[in-house]
Amino acid sequence: MKKLILSCLCILVFIGINPYRSFASWPIGKYRDIVIPSMFLYHQTDRFDRDGHRIKGDPGTGFTSYSANLYVGYGISRRLDLIASVPYVYTQNKFANGDKITNQGLGDLYMGLSYNLVNFNYVRYLSVQVSGIAPLYNRSLELGLGNYGAELKLMYCGNLPKSIASKGYFNTEVAYRRYFDVQGPDQLSFSGTVGYPISHHDQLSLELLFFRSFSSNKAFNPNINNARDYAFFKPSLNYGHQFTRRFSTFIGGYYTPFGKNTGVGYGGSVLAIIKI
Amino acid sequence: MRNINIYLKWTLFMLLTVIVPVVKAHALCLQQKNKEGEVILDAKPANKSALFKEGEEISYKLSIKNTYNEKQEGKFSYVVTSDDGKKIFENTTDFSVGAGSSKSLNVKVAPKGAGFYHINFMFNLSTYDDTVRKVFGVNPKAITSVLHKPDDFDQFWQETRQQLSKVSPQYKVIFRPDLSTKYKKVYSVEMKSYENLLIRGWLVIPTDGSKFPVHYRVPGYVVELKPNMDNDDYIAFDINVRGNGNSKDVVHINTDNYSTTNIQDKDKYIYRGVYMDCLRGLDFLYSHANLGIDTSKIFVEGGSQGGALAVVTAGLDKRVKVLTMQVPLYADIRDNYSISASYKEQVVPFKMFRQYKNRHPEFSWEQFYATFDYYDPQNFAPMVKCPVLMGIGLLDQFCPPRCSMALFNHLSSTNKEFVCVPNSTHEVDFNYFMFQNLWVREKFRIP
Repeated sequence: MKKLILSCLCILVFIGINPYRSFASWPIGKYRDIVIPSMFLYHQTDRFDRDGHRIKGDPGTGFTSYSANLYVGYGISRRLDLIASVPYVYTQNKFANGDKITNQGLGDLYMGLSYNLVNFNYVRYLSVQVSGIAPLYNRSLELGLGNYGAELKLMYCGNLPKSIASKGYFNTEVAYRRYFDVQGPDQLSFSGTVGYPISHHDQLSLELLFFRSFSSNKAFNPNINNARDYAFFKPSLNYGHQFTRRFSTFIGGYYTPFGKNTGVGYGGSVLAIIKI
Repeated sequence: MRNINIYLKWTLFMLLTVIVPVVKAHALCLQQKNKEGEVILDAKPANKSALFKEGEEISYKLSIKNTYNEKQEGKFSYVVTSDDGKKIFENTTDFSVGAGSSKSLNVKVAPKGAGFYHINFMFNLSTYDDTVRKVFGVNPKAITSVLHKPDDFDQFWQETRQQLSKVSPQYKVIFRPDLSTKYKKVYSVEMKSYENLLIRGWLVIPTDGSKFPVHYRVPGYVVELKPNMDNDDYIAFDINVRGNGNSKDVVHINTDNYSTTNIQDKDKYIYRGVYMDCLRGLDFLYSHANLGIDTSKIFVEGGSQGGALAVVTAGLDKRVKVLTMQVPLYADIRDNYSISASYKEQVVPFKMFRQYKNRHPEFSWEQFYATFDYYDPQNFAPMVKCPVLMGIGLLDQFCPPRCSMALFNHLSSTNKEFVCVPNSTHEVDFNYFMFQNLWVREKFRIP
């Protein structure tokens, strides 16, 4: 769930930096601050087995997670940004016999530095981000993997070529994440997003996320916060509306049509972008 | 026999009229093919900006591509001169490049003192002669110039401002629905300026918001400014100073004579009123906060003459919060005179000044400076305290880089930056304007 939250955040959060064209890998800008409170919902009933076959969930079973997240970004310089996010997570795991386990508390603190390596005429940007992950909860609460971790991410974003869409934008990210535990996991993700303004204040964007988590622990876990070895493909569609230059809101939905050893997840998110 | 004769005649006829010309044409074609082609030259400085530090080795990488079908042989020379044409270094070597092949050369120049230098790479080859002209700078922030500021400079401008303040502006703000769009309201603005002259400008207000920073643009040399519809995040105010654009009711002077109008009298020189027109524009902005103008966020911008007007405006009036200028005309006018003296062909601004002097032999350069020292933008630079961004083109002859940097170095602002565009003449590039946009947003904390 944390990864999903972060994935959604990474996509949706940054749409708001400039609702018409910028998100994700655009540098925040010197002295600029961004604060993004957000809410996320994730639910699964069915699951994919290790071969990618869809397995119907038993009646009454399911895993649901609600999360409230606070993301803060600060432009230290024209190239260097400091970012941090802290989620508050509520999870509920329902079993066939009617039992259910609920947990809640702070999730993983995600904190890092993003550096713009190259700008191409201030139209396209290539950046790298190095982040650390620290659990803010007791491991028994299963609000995350319970391990420290680190992530290296390469990001490339910019305007789409005018021949494709004159006002559109794109963002691509390749990330490697490692949790410091004997079971890992090691996680690789690739995401590609295209966005397009549909009016002066509104935009739509489509993101495709490919995610693979590798671990020696192959057990299926419906609680995606705790799962270690799985893969999925997740498209998400997002809609953003700008109220003022400093305040925008976004709503999005996603679904997992393909996966391995993971839930058939779906859900949505609502967030606000506040630029200070 | 008769048939044979006919046959021979026919053959001879064909030979003379068709075959021989075709063969000749083919031979000519082959000959031309050998001659067709070119030598493509490219010279790249070791530092992308073509700016080097003091003591740093200056080097260029030259790429030479020969598209001829024959080897090119001859001489390669390079000459380094100061920006006012004094030869500093010259070197000549034998050079050859094979048919259809490429070659690269590294040219190193010994470290130089602070300044700008011209470097010409010359190829005199078998069938091709060409020269690539480049300019590089060394430690431009150390460039100095002498300020020839008249003793009564401050008093002169104080009195001029007092005279302006006595002119009732009589502002008129006229909505122009014909020019407006769903997201921008366009207004034609009129006001009375120095010597009670009517000037006009264009105000463009985004409909999407209630309060905006202002992009105040001042014009280039006899250039008409029109409504600036480009930016959603600023109110755009473009003023046409006297004699420019739609402010030609009284002053209507062609480009050859504009800058020399009343040059013999500092009190009547055209730019006295022009500079005041720019301040009157600021008066207008400050008196119309009700239109959504955020008077705490006004940035003035201009290129060429506009660059000069922008620095003068920011120097004379502290209501300007941020200044951006490109290739400021007239800066460090005395050094500009020396540099322009080395040009084979005169360009703006000394083209006009020299023409005027030729027409008025009694008018001396001393008299020229007696007036122009009151108007040299460089003399206003120490009065500028706000953040400044300046863009220069290294190949600029109108505003030689040395003069622009001299002005820049005289700015009192502690928050100032410049951008150098190595292959530009009297202009900057798209990249500069992208950066300027981000830079101004940074200064005003605009999201």
